[in-house]
Amino acid sequence: MLNEGKKIYCDVSKCLGCRSCELACAVEHSKSKTLFNAIKEEPVPIHRRRVQAVDEIIISDACHHCEDAPCISACMSGAMYKAEDGSTQHIEEKCVGCWMCIMVCPFAAISRQTKLALKCDLCKDNEKGPQCIISCPTKALISKEV
Amino acid sequence: MSDSEKSIDLATKEMLGLACNKNICTAFDRHETMEPECGFGQLGICCRNCVMGPCRIDPFGEGPQEGICGATADTIAARNLVRMIAAGAAAHSDHGRDVAHTLLTTSEGKTKGYGIKGKEKLLNLAKELKVKIENRKIEEVAHDVAEKCFAEFGQQHGELQFTRRAPKKRQEIWRKNRFTPRGIDREVVEIMHRTNIGVDNDYQNILQQGIRTSLGDGWGGSMIATDLQDVLFGQPEPVRSVSNLGVLKEDEVNIIVHGHEPTLSDVIVAASQDKELLELAKKYGAKGINLAGICCTANEILMRHGISVAGNFLQQELAVITGAVDLMLVDVQCIMPALGKLATCFHTKIISTSPKAKFPGVEHIEFSEEEALPIAKKIVRMAVENYKNRKKESLNIPKEKMELVAGFTSEYVFKMLGGKYRATYRPLNDAVISGRLRGAVGIVGCNNPKIKHDWAHIELTKELIKNDVLVVTTGCSALASAKAGLLVPEAAKKYAGKGLQEICEAVGIPPVLHMGACVDISRILTTLCNVLTEGGLGEDISDLPVAAAAPEWMSEKAVSIGFYAVASGIFTVLGLPLPVMGGKNLTEYLINSIENTVGGKFAFESDPLKAADLIVKHLDKKREALKLKPMMYGE
Amino acid sequence: MNYLIIGASAAGISCVEAIRSIDMEGKITVVSDENYPVYSRCMLSYYLAGIIPEGKLKYREDDFYRKFNVNAIIGKKVDAVMSSDKKVKLSDGSVLTFDKLLIATGSRSKMEKIPGIEKEGVFGLRNIDDARKIEKRLQNSKAAVMLGGGLIGLRAAYALHKRGIKVTVVVKSKHVLSQMLDEEGAKFIQDKIEKEGIKVLTGLAAKEILGNKCSPRIHSGVSEANSVSGVVLENGEKIDCQIVIIGKGVQANMELVKNTEIKTEKGIVVNDYLRTTVSDIYAAGDVAQANDLITGESTINALWPNAVIQGKIAGFNMVEKNIKYDGSISMNSVEFFELPTISCGITKPKGEEYEILVRKNIASSIYRKIILKDNKIVGFVLVKDVDKSGIFGLLLKKKINVSSIKEVMMGNNFDFAKIIPLIKQYKSEFAEKEYSEILI
Repeated sequence: MLNEGKKIYCDVSKCLGCRSCELACAVEHSKSKTLFNAIKEEPVPIHRRRVQAVDEIIISDACHHCEDAPCISACMSGAMYKAEDGSTQHIEEKCVGCWMCIMVCPFAAISRQTKLALKCDLCKDNEKGPQCIISCPTKALISKEV
Repeated sequence: MSDSEKSIDLATKEMLGLACNKNICTAFDRHETMEPECGFGQLGICCRNCVMGPCRIDPFGEGPQEGICGATADTIAARNLVRMIAAGAAAHSDHGRDVAHTLLTTSEGKTKGYGIKGKEKLLNLAKELKVKIENRKIEEVAHDVAEKCFAEFGQQHGELQFTRRAPKKRQEIWRKNRFTPRGIDREVVEIMHRTNIGVDNDYQNILQQGIRTSLGDGWGGSMIATDLQDVLFGQPEPVRSVSNLGVLKEDEVNIIVHGHEPTLSDVIVAASQDKELLELAKKYGAKGINLAGICCTANEILMRHGISVAGNFLQQELAVITGAVDLMLVDVQCIMPALGKLATCFHTKIISTSPKAKFPGVEHIEFSEEEALPIAKKIVRMAVENYKNRKKESLNIPKEKMELVAGFTSEYVFKMLGGKYRATYRPLNDAVISGRLRGAVGIVGCNNPKIKHDWAHIELTKELIKNDVLVVTTGCSALASAKAGLLVPEAAKKYAGKGLQEICEAVGIPPVLHMGACVDISRILTTLCNVLTEGGLGEDISDLPVAAAAPEWMSEKAVSIGFYAVASGIFTVLGLPLPVMGGKNLTEYLINSIENTVGGKFAFESDPLKAADLIVKHLDKKREALKLKPMMYGE
Repeated sequence: MNYLIIGASAAGISCVEAIRSIDMEGKITVVSDENYPVYSRCMLSYYLAGIIPEGKLKYREDDFYRKFNVNAIIGKKVDAVMSSDKKVKLSDGSVLTFDKLLIATGSRSKMEKIPGIEKEGVFGLRNIDDARKIEKRLQNSKAAVMLGGGLIGLRAAYALHKRGIKVTVVVKSKHVLSQMLDEEGAKFIQDKIEKEGIKVLTGLAAKEILGNKCSPRIHSGVSEANSVSGVVLENGEKIDCQIVIIGKGVQANMELVKNTEIKTEKGIVVNDYLRTTVSDIYAAGDVAQANDLITGESTINALWPNAVIQGKIAGFNMVEKNIKYDGSISMNSVEFFELPTISCGITKPKGEEYEILVRKNIASSIYRKIILKDNKIVGFVLVKDVDKSGIFGLLLKKKINVSSIKEVMMGNNFDFAKIIPLIKQYKSEFAEKEYSEILI
């Protein structure tokens, strides 16, 4: 895998809050993988990355793939697991939407779809790597070793 | 993306390879660095019309669904869209205004280098505009015609003159829906007012003004530009020429004219034939002065003087990279600011000429009609002087060039179908009625690095002529067809369906007809009106088996064109969607329900074969409604 | 090292994983009285509701024991722990020894002493056997009564409703979910489930469970009047039903430590290292009575995430890692009819020292209540808009003074970024690298 042992960080000094990463994330996790079609899909693709702001800081944030991930301990269906590359991954087929992971995620980085939790998967199925990084016009999002 | 995926044009591919080796950036590369492009912009749901924002609507529903003022995605996308129409219509119309100005000053004897070459056209226009002809000098008539056209821009009420060229039914639709433009400039201004914060927020009402403005372009500004250019520079007639970068000559002074207005380039043609300057060229070791065009300026001087074409929009930088261009003079529209920096790597001089269009790092020699010829000569002299600075080692002229026939107009070509002595549209109408021709489609518009250069133009054009559809073309699409060898009569045998082939062979025309520059899309409108007048094909443009397509569009002008086409009742297929998809109701309206009002609608289809299929189905639907005969040569 | 783990649910399995993450060599034995692969008890109501098939109850792969090199003794019960001998006695009389023992025997439904409770058709919902029996009886049932309006009762009620059964929930308290929620928060849920067709009777208890002759459609062969036919309430009202589910809370399975020095109260008492009062013997999960992170009291917060973390820390400490447990948190997450609710900590504060922040919108079922003490979050209830609950949980766990963000916490746009200034201010509290990384 291209992103082995890597996580996505946001350099807050560079983030302008354009939300391109959110769009790229939603498109990557859509069925069609194209913006023009993704916006028409049902259910609407949900982005797992969110641009947030406080005071002067703008940050694009998503799952931090915590070392000691509380969402994994909380997951009663065995959907959430630590992958060999250190990333926290989620098997959507196993998820029942009990929201235990939402309850314990300190970053509020897990989204809800009907009966399904969704989170950053580092675009593991895309050989080009995380689409949010590619989409970032100021290169605020970077991939670094864990 | 590899170079072979960027274009289907061999000269372009060769030059891109060269640019890559020389580490030179072109629009193709810059497009790649720009990717992925901002999704909000593509969907049309970012609003910067006031500074409470910028506001963006989350197209995936989680984030804001309304701007700070409460504007929805539909409102925002509609406002942005009509501002594009305003800009596009303004560009075409301002071009028209400049031509009217040239005609006016020429009629007053104040210009050097112009005359009234299209006398017949002038007299016809005078009749149409109710200008007195009898017992008057041609200059006096020209003066009044120019003033009448000028007045169209500033008119505050009433209806634009040329909208009356449209079929009665069409005029009624426009009146009923408040689409009839009152004055060309007024409509543009009203768009800017309506899209100001807190004015017009109903997307359909916003579009109403967008449509009115676009009609002020198609049946106003553009039409004035076309007609008055014909008056000043003469009616084009079919003419043979050559296209692509291979037209540049190793042993001659190469001058490229690039942009959109023929006012300067037309006198450049004269200046380049100036004996003194030719002598000077020889003195520097050049065998002559070679003029070539890019973009619509190319189309203008091609169809009136047979001047060869160097390339279309995405080839402007490549022309410089040949190292063979001694001077490129530019006027307005579609001129990349990148040229200035690029030219510093070569001996090429870029000269801007319009007070409206200056470029960083580019020398400016201001053009004025009053001193047109002296200025033109000065510029040609600069080119000649610059010939000696050419670097042999930087010279890379691709071999590719292609024969073409250009310059078909509404006045000329369709009459030609009837034979020289029986000037009439009848045979054309009969060909459609009898099922020899399926219909006609205008393929127009730009290049866009999002789409493989020229590919969509050519695929769509070929597919349509294969289906016995007569294609008329303008702008950069026309230049694509020229380079692909579709603008020669022989192309009919090679690519056209049997019915179209028979017509082309009988009359000796290509299956794809070059009708001029992008303002000359107005020629297509006039042609359609003539076809309707001839009879047998319905009462309104929306009855006709016709369609329009802009497979590689990129400019705001194309948006304006698209709207006046649709509002004139023409089904219009765009290769890239309008930036409105974030406004779902607006999008639905544009690709569907707008048809109930104007009889035309948009389709967005990037696959040229699928686009062709949509068009053929549309033509067949119209044929069926007119109860025309089945196609003569089957499916 | 010879590890023995009694119980194969959340705490037991996570203990195995923790031990094996350090000690690849030691012998691990797991004893479970249930004859199934590793499955998730909390998912039983989803199975019963028909949302997932039985196979999806498994939350670890079938080859879990093999992969972790565990000697699994399943289908056998540990009858007694002989703490001084470091042995346990199994139901079949055999004896196992250990160096380190984890008791993770969990809990069971409290069965009340109501006349008729022994009848066919009266169930708890604690294990896969219960679920299968209910599932079987469903086919010939039209109505069911839940005794108890706690989580188990409501989840079972929701499941049976989904299966087309007419369900009545009988709650002794003033409102449903009285352990988890305050009255206001509970009202949202009660209104919702009633609107969807589940009947809720509050302030009432059952007096008797009635039975009749086995209905001819139920071929269970039970004797006369032994199959549930209805419930009589305290007020004399009679509800016809074929199923009764008891959801009156749980009690720890700690009989196996009777007659040992292991101290028990509500459950097996453990210290901050999950050790019982006897060295080398640990307890985790629903059976363990540990310190509550918020109140500091020793109590049982029977909840999956607590059990997993306790099992994990117990496991580490069994391999002598000496890791301190922060304490358990009472929290829970439920969703009925697409109305999610998450609560945590103190939800029904009593006393002047608490400050309560509330944001409520009845029309859209949004409820956010945050309970503060000395400007620190000690509890919260979120209905519908639950997505940010983890941030509140983080602030609660880290005991951060939130006086500077009170307003923003209750605002529409509260998100993780809003606590970045606090993370900067209280750097030492946010020592984990996930937080320091944000400030690059």
